Amino acid sequence: MSVDRRKIAVFGAAFMLRLLLTCLFPSLPDLLTGRVEVSTPVNSFKRLQEGLFLYTRNVSPYDGGVFHQAPLLLPLFALLPDAKSWPLPTAIFYFLVDLLNAYALVTISASGQSVKSRLHSAVRKHVRWDGVSVAAWFLFNPLTIATCLARATSVFTTSGILFAVSNAVGGNSINAMLALGFASYLSLYPALLFIPLVLVCYDRRSEGPNPPNVGSFIARHAALLLASVAGLLGLSCLITGNFWEFVSATYGFHLLVPDLTPNVGLWWYFFIEMFDSFREFFLGVFWLHLASYVGGLTTRFRRQPLFIITALLGVFAIFKPYPSISDASLFFALLPLYRHLFPLMRYTFFAGSAILYSSLLGPAFYHLWIYAGSGNANFFYAITLVWSLGLSILLADTVFAALRDEWEQEHPERVGTEVRQV
Amino acid sequence: MPAAIRNLRNNPHFLFARLPNLLSFICVVVGVVWLLLLPLNEYSRQTYISENALLPGQVHAYFTGSEQNIFRGYKRELEGLLNDGQARGGQKDEAEVTAAVSDKLQSILQAAGLKVATQKYEYTSAGITHQGENTYAIIHAPRGDATEAIVLVAPWITADDKLNLNGVTLALTLARYFKRWSLWSKDIIFLITPDSKSGTQAWIDAYHDMHPASVQPLPLKSGALQGALVIEYPLDHRFQSLHIVYDGVNGQLPNLDLFNTAVAIAGGQMGIGANLQEMWGHDDSYEHRLQTMFRGMTKQGLGYATGAHSSFMPYHIDAITLQTKGEGWEDEMALGRTIESLCRSLNNLLEHLHQSFFFYLLMQSNRFVSIGTYLPSAMLIAGNFTIMAIALWMRTGYYPESKPSAKPMNEKGSAEEKAKTDGIAERHLALPLSLVVGLHLLGLVPLWVFNNIFHQYFTTTTYIFVVVDIILPLFLAAILSNGLGLSNPIIPQQYHLIKSFSLLLLGLSLSTLATLNFSLSFMIGLLCAPLSFVARLQGSAPFRLATSSLGLVLLNLVSPPTVLLGVCWYMGISVETVLTQAAFGWDIWGMWTQVVVWCVWWPAWLIGCVLLWSSMF
Repeated sequence: MSVDRRKIAVFGAAFMLRLLLTCLFPSLPDLLTGRVEVSTPVNSFKRLQEGLFLYTRNVSPYDGGVFHQAPLLLPLFALLPDAKSWPLPTAIFYFLVDLLNAYALVTISASGQSVKSRLHSAVRKHVRWDGVSVAAWFLFNPLTIATCLARATSVFTTSGILFAVSNAVGGNSINAMLALGFASYLSLYPALLFIPLVLVCYDRRSEGPNPPNVGSFIARHAALLLASVAGLLGLSCLITGNFWEFVSATYGFHLLVPDLTPNVGLWWYFFIEMFDSFREFFLGVFWLHLASYVGGLTTRFRRQPLFIITALLGVFAIFKPYPSISDASLFFALLPLYRHLFPLMRYTFFAGSAILYSSLLGPAFYHLWIYAGSGNANFFYAITLVWSLGLSILLADTVFAALRDEWEQEHPERVGTEVRQV
Repeated sequence: MPAAIRNLRNNPHFLFARLPNLLSFICVVVGVVWLLLLPLNEYSRQTYISENALLPGQVHAYFTGSEQNIFRGYKRELEGLLNDGQARGGQKDEAEVTAAVSDKLQSILQAAGLKVATQKYEYTSAGITHQGENTYAIIHAPRGDATEAIVLVAPWITADDKLNLNGVTLALTLARYFKRWSLWSKDIIFLITPDSKSGTQAWIDAYHDMHPASVQPLPLKSGALQGALVIEYPLDHRFQSLHIVYDGVNGQLPNLDLFNTAVAIAGGQMGIGANLQEMWGHDDSYEHRLQTMFRGMTKQGLGYATGAHSSFMPYHIDAITLQTKGEGWEDEMALGRTIESLCRSLNNLLEHLHQSFFFYLLMQSNRFVSIGTYLPSAMLIAGNFTIMAIALWMRTGYYPESKPSAKPMNEKGSAEEKAKTDGIAERHLALPLSLVVGLHLLGLVPLWVFNNIFHQYFTTTTYIFVVVDIILPLFLAAILSNGLGLSNPIIPQQYHLIKSFSLLLLGLSLSTLATLNFSLSFMIGLLCAPLSFVARLQGSAPFRLATSSLGLVLLNLVSPPTVLLGVCWYMGISVETVLTQAAFGWDIWGMWTQVVVWCVWWPAWLIGCVLLWSSMF
């Protein structure tokens, strides 16, 4: 009963905080919507409004080359009252999505898969936070709040991923694949999470009486994922009418990265500086680099598939073509599940300070570059490098801690000894 | 010697408690000394014109002779209208005079062949209404395509609250004179504003369609503004030298090339001396250079608009004010020629001023230091907080909290062993984090209060906040120490964490601020420097009581409201004037010095006081 009361308190407080911020500072959502750190070309609410305007007037939403998001969002937002004159219903809708995401986190945490799965059991099982603390960590993270207030559509991708994971750890592999299909349909890159996710499902199934064959299990789930994506694409086709136009405006846009508006990621500056003849080559290299983490992490962390997902989300937050702070907030949301690794991490304070510094200096340098005119693009790019560095240190430290945990499990007699880099 | 170092390295008390204090202190001292070194020849540089297109003083200025008759004529007409209003005193009210003068301005500009328009505006701040009407006229460039423009501003009231009759008349004469030249490649806009504070702001906001509802939009516009010059000639006699004012809102500065051009033309071509920062008898000595720099830093740090030109800066338009000073031989024609030559230089520009520095400290009209040289001093001061924060973080994890002196070794060893089980000690973060974040959010309350109440109440409110600053930390310290409403009482480690987070945020904010407004960051950093060394005291009760009360008295002397009162008393200005000006800056200029004071300085200061108070319990 008391746990329930805590949950209600956390969820209610998170909702009230968001509502309070929206009502006390009515210009805040629009301010955040315009920030490059929050809104990228593929999740911007402003661009969604533009697409919605065209859609409600029976023009193809992809005309004009502004809108690059999945078409199924359009009928959804067409149901909500106009965000310009009635901002509150849309805002509350986003608050509820945030709460749902937190609820999925509570489920993931309650399953205990992060500390004890089929093949692995952490050494410090007792050091953990309960679901409500994990949810609070997510809900009161300033990055999450900023994303929510800015009404970035990446929160729907976040929901897809979190629900896929929460269903997978709950043993409901069909729903997990459907949710992952939804996330991949919205922003493409979650498809890379398929292998670790199917491993989570497989491990859960294998805990039961008769474990299925690995190959056929994966093949069946791959087919399911493909079917769900195909179904969503079919629906989209009904909405837009022109299949190739929408595919090239959304997935083509994700893959070919034509819009080099500054963001917190590493791609835009590289591709601005690059000669056009090398563009295709480096696009391939960058995407390959991003995808290559899946193989490596899956092989190494086969015993902790949920950790692969967490680490991959960290990788995506750094190396995606259009990352925003919402990707970082998703990574930070899953980290507290690994509370038992925190004592093993070595650079949290420095990584945290680097992230804090860059999140203050980023807007300042962007101001100097764009508004004051006394700085230039290098100012902002330098800070995005620091931001990525902070995230990378944090990610590398988490991976180190997870490896150390596995090692300590294998060598119980060596627990607590100093590591030395060779 | 190596043995001594090894000894120190193995001494945790030295590493975690002494060394950080020492390092922080060194950082602060080096930061201050660094600043004091800047005026030396080895660290400052001679100014130079970076943008070759400017070619300052390379053309002959023709504004002489018969133009003086025109000037006298215009002046007499305007004087007549103003005196008429004054002479009849009660019968003709001010609005009527203003309307008559405005009509006269418009008819003169129209007769000279310019397109004329007006703009009404009204601002309310701290219960005071500021209103007026801007008159402006545009010369369309005979050789341009109306995509770029230069602005000449003449406010009726100068920044020093004097009537700028000669300045306005000169602007009118120049408008007539410039119109006849065929060599302009940029439009020239003549703007006559009623005052130096709000008029230009209303105009420039409306020019970029960023004006509030109480300001009228502009009916007539030109292209992108490349530069702006403000003319102030409030004297009724000949002047001696030109005073160049260049500070913008929030410490933003115009491109150094513009300032250099003005100095080169005034000094080199016209033979009029140029001063800056009200340093009249500058003999280029170390003391005078330092004084000039400090005056510049004060203006930059406070971030208020120093003249009509300041409002242009946020829109990335470089602007300066030319003020006439002293009694000498230069007449209005010399000022006119200087402005003509400056306009010709700006007219030459092929692109926006960008070559030279935007961040600099001037210490003489031909000597400056650039950001690379001076920034380390503010960064060192901000860095001292970060060093302390990192040290405290390390200390809470690796150095078991124990009485540092005269410790039996075995007890310490066992404590360390206990901490060793997981490598580092467990940190309790929830309370310190929420306290620090909560206090920073609390800063929004005074921020809101000081920007929204009526001006009559400012003095009272300041005194109330002096009292609040004494009571609030005591109250918080009492809650923390007695664990009121908390299930488990606070442990010493958490005091360190509170201080660590608070200093981390302070260092973070100040180093960010140093890139935007160096001087403000430096000043706040110095005022906050004691906070690095303030901590919850340990020891016997009388010692704690005595030291912490002394510390509290000293700390209260550097609290935001006390510093405000102290500075006002020293300068002989009333608190109400300062705060009214600050609220005006917040509402109209978009000045954010207050945000730094109430959301960065005040919370950090409060936490320092809480730590000291808590040592009394």
